[in-house]
Amino acid sequence: MAALEVRGLRKQFGGVVALNGIDLDIDTDQVVGIVGPNGSGKTTLFNVVTGVHLATGGTVSWQGQDITNIGAHRIARKRLVRTFQQAMSFPGLTVDENVRIAWEQGRRGDSRWASPGMILDFVGLAPLGRAIAGSLPFGSLRRLGLAVALGVSPELLLLDEPGAGLNDSEAQAFAAVIAQLPPQGIGVCLIDHDMDMMADLCGRLVVLDFGTKIAEGPPAEVLADPKVREVYLGPDKTAAAS
Amino acid sequence: MPMTDNSAGKTGAAPEGARARDRLALLTADNASVPLPAGVQAITAILLAVLLIALPWLGLGYRFLSIAITTLYTAIALYGLGLQFGQAGIMSVGHSALMGVGAYASAILSVQLGLGFWTSLPFAMALSAIVGGVIGPPTLRVGGQHYIIITFCFCALFVIVLTNGGTFTGSATGLDVGSVTPLPGINFDKLSNNYYLVLAALFLALAATYLIGNSRYGRKLRAIRENEQLARSVGINVDLHKLGVLMVSGLFAGLAGVLQLYYLRHISPTLFGAFPSLYLALMIMLGGARYLYGPLIGAVVVNFLPEVLNLDPVDSRIAYGVCLLLVILLLPGGVGAGIKNIYCAIAGESETQKQSGGSNGRA
Ligand SMILES: Nc1ncnc2c1ncn2[C@@H]1O[C@H](COP(=O)(O)OP(=O)(O)OP(=O)(O)O)[C@@H](O)[C@H]1O
Ligand SMILES: [Mg+2]
Repeated sequence: MAALEVRGLRKQFGGVVALNGIDLDIDTDQVVGIVGPNGSGKTTLFNVVTGVHLATGGTVSWQGQDITNIGAHRIARKRLVRTFQQAMSFPGLTVDENVRIAWEQGRRGDSRWASPGMILDFVGLAPLGRAIAGSLPFGSLRRLGLAVALGVSPELLLLDEPGAGLNDSEAQAFAAVIAQLPPQGIGVCLIDHDMDMMADLCGRLVVLDFGTKIAEGPPAEVLADPKVREVYLGPDKTAAAS
Repeated sequence: MPMTDNSAGKTGAAPEGARARDRLALLTADNASVPLPAGVQAITAILLAVLLIALPWLGLGYRFLSIAITTLYTAIALYGLGLQFGQAGIMSVGHSALMGVGAYASAILSVQLGLGFWTSLPFAMALSAIVGGVIGPPTLRVGGQHYIIITFCFCALFVIVLTNGGTFTGSATGLDVGSVTPLPGINFDKLSNNYYLVLAALFLALAATYLIGNSRYGRKLRAIRENEQLARSVGINVDLHKLGVLMVSGLFAGLAGVLQLYYLRHISPTLFGAFPSLYLALMIMLGGARYLYGPLIGAVVVNFLPEVLNLDPVDSRIAYGVCLLLVILLLPGGVGAGIKNIYCAIAGESETQKQSGGSNGRA
């Protein structure tokens, strides 16, 4: 039995079917990548799993417990934690306080961090502890987003396009940080459009299209799959045809 | 933000005009979350406490002391508003109605059951807390603006109910109470003793605000203020804590209301209507809701301004309006922010940066 089990998950926004029966298993010792064209439902999958949106149908279970629609803060307390596609922080507070807030939440039970400072060291933000989060450059804001999520002592971390908006060297440094997580017992599920990075980082790729899972497996296999190639090349073809 | 390394660097290299602009930005910025050194905090607290305790001995006269009492119990209510607005980001423009709930609860307990100041106080505070909590949930989920409107409506409704409450609420004339039950050796009929009673309550409110602001609970409230969605995603029960802080704020308002009742010895509905509520909102914005001494500063300015400048009520309203505009334009963080920024500018940025950030500093 996998730590996170998603079964037949559906989400509808009015007439838009954003998730159309997704099945997914994720364990906490791996990096799983989720890819797919814009609007295919990747972010929505995270939002429904972590309780930001209510599921229209289907179930999510975490460590054997049904967590479907139990509320975002309860899910976070079960150490299933996510970051947001738009880099988020508590903008008016210092970097220290941002991380301390999360760390204090994660301390119910036991934290994997002895202090919030350890998290800042880990993501490389230690020198900026007294800066106001809202004044950080974008690259540091992304790191802060990760630090806040790590503060909750996650067992599985859902990262929504952590590399978006970063330049190449920043993205590489970020990927290096992410790669250190599974050996520490933090599972990672990662959305990103950078296929090279995904192929490097992920042991398994899941491809979504129109809210449906169209492929799943080791990166090399999935990226060679004609169906997947069609989805990624699809828009150009249809544009040319019409 | 003025406190980061790079802006300090800029100031050093910039030409004269840009430097002046930077200076101004430095004085007007809201830096409530930047900690002050513990020593500075302690010295400020001690000086303020000494000043407030010595006040009745300075020979400033009966009228001055009366205004001081009004200022202090108003400040107590403002500390509640400071928690809900300054820390949790939930503004209310009907806050004096919550003071009214406390004051009327205590007055009615006195008239109907003969309960005195001390025995009715806990009931009055509890009732204010409950009412403060009850107004919240139906509107908070929809968004802050709806809550603001509801608080204003509640305030208007409260006055109507009081005015039509017959002998139970005393209708438009209101209710009378006796004086505060004396403690051994302390008779509260004496104005200075009444002042010390209110001052003791203010110290409690200040201490509670300081402790909450520096606690895990205070950080949760600020997280909710800054980003509700992120707060939820790290495991904070946003709805529960919003309800909770409104109830805590209600406790402060109830305490302030009972102190007001027993200072005036007579209350009527207009004391708790729209105008007093708007004045509370004015004071908290003037003083700076996020700063430890902001609410007190706001209460002092608004209560003493007409006295110092010798203004009649109409003129003083104009003066308040001008003050509010100036603060909104120049000091979005309130006078408290200005004072803290001036301190930081004098002490030198390099030095404040070096100080350890253990305690959360609110000026
Ligand atoms: N809150 C919402 N209300 C209405 N529709 C929504 C909402 N969130 C997502 N959708 C719709 O659901 C579909 C899936 O969106 P989603 O954000 O999950 O895509 P995505 O795969 O994350 O795309 P991207 O790669 O651009 O981030 C889209 O059609 C989108 O318009
Ligand atoms: Mg997305």
